[in-house]
Amino acid sequence: MIETIYVEKIIKEHPRTKLILSKLKKAKIIEIDRYGEIFNKRNQNFRIQKNNPDLILAFKNEGYVLPTPEGFGVGSSKNYYFSHMFNCIYDCRYCFLQGMYSSANYVIFVNFEDFDKEIEEVIQDNKDKKITFFSGYDCDSLALENLTGFAKHITNIFAKYPDVDIEFRTKSVQTEPFTSIEPLNNVIVAYSLMPNLMSKVLDNKTPSVLKRINAMSHLAAKGWKIGLRFDPLIHGKNWEKLYKELLENIYNTIPADSIHSVSFGPLRFPKEMFKDIFKLYPETPLFSGPLSQQNGVVSYDLKIEEEMTSFCSNITENYIDKSQIFKCSA
Amino acid sequence: MNQKILNSNMSIRWVVALKVEAEIILDEYNMNFDPEFTLFQVFRNFEKTRWLILSGVGRHNSAAATTYLYMISKASRSTCWINLGIAGSGKGHYGDLCLVNKISNNDSSNTYPATMPKVTFHKMNLFTSDVPLTDYTLHELIDMEGSAFYDITNKLSGREFICLMKVISDGPNNDIEDLNKFKIRELINLNIANIKTIVSYYEKLSMDQYQIIQQPKILSEILSQWHFSVSQKHQLENLIKRINTLSKDEEIIKLIKDCKNSRSVITNLEAKILNTKVDWSLV
Repeated sequence: MIETIYVEKIIKEHPRTKLILSKLKKAKIIEIDRYGEIFNKRNQNFRIQKNNPDLILAFKNEGYVLPTPEGFGVGSSKNYYFSHMFNCIYDCRYCFLQGMYSSANYVIFVNFEDFDKEIEEVIQDNKDKKITFFSGYDCDSLALENLTGFAKHITNIFAKYPDVDIEFRTKSVQTEPFTSIEPLNNVIVAYSLMPNLMSKVLDNKTPSVLKRINAMSHLAAKGWKIGLRFDPLIHGKNWEKLYKELLENIYNTIPADSIHSVSFGPLRFPKEMFKDIFKLYPETPLFSGPLSQQNGVVSYDLKIEEEMTSFCSNITENYIDKSQIFKCSA
Repeated sequence: MNQKILNSNMSIRWVVALKVEAEIILDEYNMNFDPEFTLFQVFRNFEKTRWLILSGVGRHNSAAATTYLYMISKASRSTCWINLGIAGSGKGHYGDLCLVNKISNNDSSNTYPATMPKVTFHKMNLFTSDVPLTDYTLHELIDMEGSAFYDITNKLSGREFICLMKVISDGPNNDIEDLNKFKIRELINLNIANIKTIVSYYEKLSMDQYQIIQQPKILSEILSQWHFSVSQKHQLENLIKRINTLSKDEEIIKLIKDCKNSRSVITNLEAKILNTKVDWSLV
């Protein structure tokens, strides 16, 4: 339950601000000038804030659409991402957001129409190329859909451009807006997954893996394309058995023709980000595993990464065409 | 015994303007005057986990007293800082206890203290004035110290470790001129149960943070046996913390007992990490 909402003065009369506030009537509202007064200031404690995050409603001035880091994508020649929100309601121990921001408060940018404009500009500039947009890079795409309505809003934009793909990446079991509209071939609802045993320790506050599989099964049955994102791959005792069970369970549940793509990503942190996250959560078992630093990046040994990726890819190839399987390195 | 150890890891610092606002707190938490410190009146408990300073009225006094208390009490990054006092209000009711979630004054930009979550106490905006104000129409809460206290403590500690609580003492229907020592003491006394609830939250926060940032117990033992450079010490501490999550101190000792030098200690611990397969069914 959100107890405090900071609202930028400039958007206090914005219809979307009013709509969001109407859904959180019990919260105390505090007017601010800019979200930077609260968000990501020094001397904040991400871990403590995460116990009870506040909400900040803000206006985004620039940088609505950005190119994804190299190695991030599922087959298109150009990839872009956008974030209508900073931070996530979930609390996953491997998430880069823990090291990215000093604040765990949620920032929601209410000027969705400015995202639309820039997305359409990027599409016009890349008419001859296959491009994919990713929603949910700095947040979970669907977890706060009931509050923001962003996925519904942005899906309407992409309905006009059937050749341009949009991926909503999530751990949520929120299936709206997709259950209320006809499926679109260029929309990928992508689920982040790992074996349940690991997820129970690392994916805090998220729906269980089983619930996620049920949600994707429901959407697949409705005709939506599903993305499977095993990112990051987590090492540990019996990892082969755990991943085999998970993969086979999913491939036996979700029809192959509903699967848009499968990607595998290694666990990697930039050195400084790892330092910050480790300071916040030194007792996390994830960090007791075989992570080491090479070339400014903290990760499993390359041999482990390749072994895990190959193992999972090989199983996947029994069910899915090789061209739909991707190794993510961002 | 364990509770005693936990309590000794707790660290609370109070900054209060007037003796009469502090008396109930001093009694409640067994803090006594410490004559060692002469710049301000300072009180503390026997274990030195709770300290209280009487700052006097006004922003300059509050800033100076807060800094002084930080220096003399060896406050740490796990210390929680509390400012308690009476305040005028045009909005609340006489005697209400409020937490402060926004601070403004005439000089600088607004600041936004974090407030203790999941409580039903009023949370209000505070205006810190350099002169007593009797026009209550413009502000939710009015005091004369809060902004300085927050500005200083926010440099010494994290935002989440700072608490400002005010008891409404005057307003449009309660003339400031009618306030006296007995009334102020009574206002604090009437709210002591709620004050204690708030304090216990910060006590736990302080103890939890201490657990997170404290050095592993085994570290000093290892440091006494081999010579480590400064960067090696950091490396060693991190390696021990990582291994300690899943292994006991004895296992670490066993791993390094035959090491000839610090380099081999670190190499052995690194090897331990690289060969660890986390058993996710056990964590």
